[in-house]
Amino acid sequence: MLLNRVNSGGRWRIRPDGIGKVTGSLTYLTDMTAGSMLYGLVLRSEYPHASVISIQTDKAEKLPGVHAVLTYRDVPGLNAFGIAHPDQPVLCEDRVRYVGDALATVAAESIVIAQQALELIEVEYEVLGVLDDPERALHADAPLLHPKGNAMHRTTFTRGNVDEAFKQCAYIAEEIYYTPRQMHTYMETEGGLFVPEADGRLTVYSPTQHGFMDRMQLARILSVPQDHIRIISSPIGGSFGGKDELNVQPYGALLATKTGRAIKMHNSRQESVRAGLKRHPMRISMKTGVDEAGQLIAHRVSILADTGPYSTLGAEVLNFATEHVIGPYKYEHLDVEGISVFTNNGMSGEFRGFGGNQAIFALEGQMDRLAEQLGLSPWAFRKLNMRQSDDLGPFDQPIAMTEGAELVWSAIENSRLWQEQVRMKDRSAPKHSEPWIKTGIGAALTMHGAGLGVGIPDPAGGRLELAADGKIEAVFGYEEFGQGLLAALEQMLVEQFGFGASDIRMVIGDTDVVPDSGSTTASRATAMMWKSLQRMRKPFTDQLLKQASTILRCHPGELRIWEGGISLITEAQLLLTYEDLAKQTDVPIRSETSFSFPVSDTKRVGAHFMYTYSAVVVKVELNSLTGRVKVVEQQHAVAAGPVINPQGYLGQIEGGSSMALGFTLLEDAVMDKGHYMTRNLDTYLVPTIVDQQGIVEVEPIEHLPASDDYGPRGIGEVGSVTLAPAIAAAVRQASGKWVTKLPIDPAFLQEKPFFLTGE
Amino acid sequence: MGMNVQETIASPQVWHPQTAAEAWHLKQSLGTDSIYVSGGTLLRTQWEAGIAAMPKHFINLSSIRGLSEIRVGESGLIIGGQVKLQACRMNTMIQRYFPMLTEALRLTAAPSIRQLATLGGNIASSIGDSLPALLGYDAEVVWFNGIEEQLILLKDWLQIARNLHPERLLLRVQLPFQQREEADGLEPGHEELVHSKTKRFYAYHKVGRREAFTPSVVTVSISGILTEARIVKDIRIALGGGQMIPIRLEQLERELIGETVDTQTIRHAYGRVVQLYEPREDIFASSAYRQTTAANVIAAELWKIAAEA
Repeated sequence: MLLNRVNSGGRWRIRPDGIGKVTGSLTYLTDMTAGSMLYGLVLRSEYPHASVISIQTDKAEKLPGVHAVLTYRDVPGLNAFGIAHPDQPVLCEDRVRYVGDALATVAAESIVIAQQALELIEVEYEVLGVLDDPERALHADAPLLHPKGNAMHRTTFTRGNVDEAFKQCAYIAEEIYYTPRQMHTYMETEGGLFVPEADGRLTVYSPTQHGFMDRMQLARILSVPQDHIRIISSPIGGSFGGKDELNVQPYGALLATKTGRAIKMHNSRQESVRAGLKRHPMRISMKTGVDEAGQLIAHRVSILADTGPYSTLGAEVLNFATEHVIGPYKYEHLDVEGISVFTNNGMSGEFRGFGGNQAIFALEGQMDRLAEQLGLSPWAFRKLNMRQSDDLGPFDQPIAMTEGAELVWSAIENSRLWQEQVRMKDRSAPKHSEPWIKTGIGAALTMHGAGLGVGIPDPAGGRLELAADGKIEAVFGYEEFGQGLLAALEQMLVEQFGFGASDIRMVIGDTDVVPDSGSTTASRATAMMWKSLQRMRKPFTDQLLKQASTILRCHPGELRIWEGGISLITEAQLLLTYEDLAKQTDVPIRSETSFSFPVSDTKRVGAHFMYTYSAVVVKVELNSLTGRVKVVEQQHAVAAGPVINPQGYLGQIEGGSSMALGFTLLEDAVMDKGHYMTRNLDTYLVPTIVDQQGIVEVEPIEHLPASDDYGPRGIGEVGSVTLAPAIAAAVRQASGKWVTKLPIDPAFLQEKPFFLTGE
Repeated sequence: MGMNVQETIASPQVWHPQTAAEAWHLKQSLGTDSIYVSGGTLLRTQWEAGIAAMPKHFINLSSIRGLSEIRVGESGLIIGGQVKLQACRMNTMIQRYFPMLTEALRLTAAPSIRQLATLGGNIASSIGDSLPALLGYDAEVVWFNGIEEQLILLKDWLQIARNLHPERLLLRVQLPFQQREEADGLEPGHEELVHSKTKRFYAYHKVGRREAFTPSVVTVSISGILTEARIVKDIRIALGGGQMIPIRLEQLERELIGETVDTQTIRHAYGRVVQLYEPREDIFASSAYRQTTAANVIAAELWKIAAEA
């Protein structure tokens, strides 16, 4: 059954944070101000690559209204950050490696004075050659951007002998795929308010996807104990992975500590483009062979990722891509290698899909090419080679077994659009009144890992408590960045416990209050909240009923949780409000849980245990006069276990697919010799509502094996993964051309009108 | 969004002249430190991109009396330079008699911007999306030069636009009514001229980098009259796009008049568009892509006209 408002009935709820967001009354962290605050700005490098000879700040310091001008000399602790491997300087000392590198930071009484101060800082550079091509950065004579070399990370996975196996293949597809430097383009750019407190602590109001990680990194930079810092991190105006790593926080924290005054920082869009993360541009070479019957025999992959100047999670993204270029198919012989390379281009890092988007564009492209060579339906060809539910994972690791792959495959096979594709054999027959408009239908499939994977700490947990005022407090260390985390949490508390929405107070995004529930990344937060609530439901409910039964002088077994308070099981009658319960009991009613995201029993770092399966079929219209492609219909099938919040689920798949539409047709942060050419949203174009006018249907497949107690799988990323290869397949049907490079260049698909082609 | 440093630093002074002469004098006395501003929507993008510095003085043209109306003049429709794009788009006279302009404005910028931006600004920019449509209607523009009003054909003004003094002030645009018979009740674009057994055709296309709210890559207007025997009686073709100042392809128009629209004619037109259209390329679209697109779109329109005749 399709996921929509009508089919969801009473489960379609108004988001608790909806009104504030729709009316604009909600205060985001970057809207905050403090009475005597100063404004902080960062001086960033003029060059993508240079030695820094000297930084003179005296003129800037003397400017009236300037309270601090800080350079590398003023960083008390570790002058570096990076979630996995801290190699990005907070403030550069002797070398800059990209145009976002910070050299100095200024606090002043107004933005104008802060800007003037930046202009008074004199930096003497010795310009160095720019490594703007990852392939060139690997040459033996290329200058080293880091002591250990320009190869930031390498991966390999092999099985059998592909060289020998290719000799046995009846058909081989060989292709090189290119994907763009996509920008997250969250509405709220990076920023925050940094407040030194009277007790000597520092409060940081700044969006992040993992408050405790920021706290650890900032403590390391400031050289203070972690509990001297409090991170308030929600609500967030969009992140998509882009605010997972530190951005302006080190500067705000340093300036606040130095001046003793509150500091406001908020990147302009241009500064956000210049300094912020982007999706890794990848070049993925694939050679894949089948036997006469269409059975996959050998698959060789080489991934080249441009990670930019510093690590952040570049290695983890490559691990993910390496796993997902193998994907949901079976091969006897495999040879996968990946390399992520330091360059002087923009920072690449974590982004919704996490390397899966690039991998699946290439892998599904291979499947379509091989099916065509074999003369098979591309969907039947996939079925022939698809994993069975009890097969090992891509890295031969044990995984949570589900029939997800089979189920999403069948959903697409039986979909109206795919049936239309089957009937649409003759693409050349013009049916349109404008015969230069050509239509095509294509489909693609993926399995997408959730959680951080083997070898990376992945804590989870939360707390339930009856607060003194009678509110049921749900406390989690997750963040709300627009994905609907609060809506999902509220819905679970209402549906699974029986509380009313007004009984609940949700507390997130405050390191002084919440437990470390791990990061809000990797499609994991909703699944981990569900699991936490499963674990806490009985103990917490038992405590509530037990204390209520003492007050009501009855047996706990006669009572139940109800909207507003405790009721009899036999009839809906409110006997004791939660407020009265809280007043009348002197026993704390509280339940806390802590566990780890389930991982596979393997030593392979990054290998996943839980997967979401998803597929999409799309219909496109190609205007061959202009070469422009319009997606007119999409049908998604997603196997991710139970639907927690129907509106949130639909929103995630629609939203992910809208990002994928941009990735496929529009978006590329163009760089020239290490400088961004698309510096603002007037040249970096994301899809508008008009670009997304086509119908989007989502069919959730909730079925899980009876023995599966892992609950809902992640859906935050998977909507952004399969659309690109499906569009490429549809374009193939419409135009006869194979797209290998994203975003699709209209010039590549443009044709002379048919009535002028013959002489 | 974000702390906009440049804007805060500039904090310009805004002047509100009541007449064109006042505006002119302000511009004279404030010189290069000032700029005429209508909706300011295009200027904003230039300031923010650092293409132009935000001057210290804004001369607000929207307070000048009489420039915000659309009225019927002796020989045509007169549109004040300060009329908002949205008001032009919704104007029923323009919809009925100058539908290519309506279509051009439908495709210009985004709704919130069309509420601010003016037709005068779109014209004065010399690259606005409305220009190919206006060229297709033989539009005239009226400027104030400090002393008197000057009337000039839009196509002539565009040829010298880049060399003119910035003090020039666009007052209005005049769109001559075409000689036409009443053709009520017929579909737009397919109006048969009753007595002459001819058919009027028109089309406006904007090809951008996305479906809406996009800078243009190619803009095209094509309009004219075809006889029953598919002979071109009249035709106007105008092209623009990107940073290029739009042009009329008058040479091609002359070559097409009197010709029968058939494959050979369309092929000729296709080749000539590629020769005569000299778009400016940028990192997003090559000159060759723009030429092919323009030639394809024009050829397709001619094919449609012939097929429908």
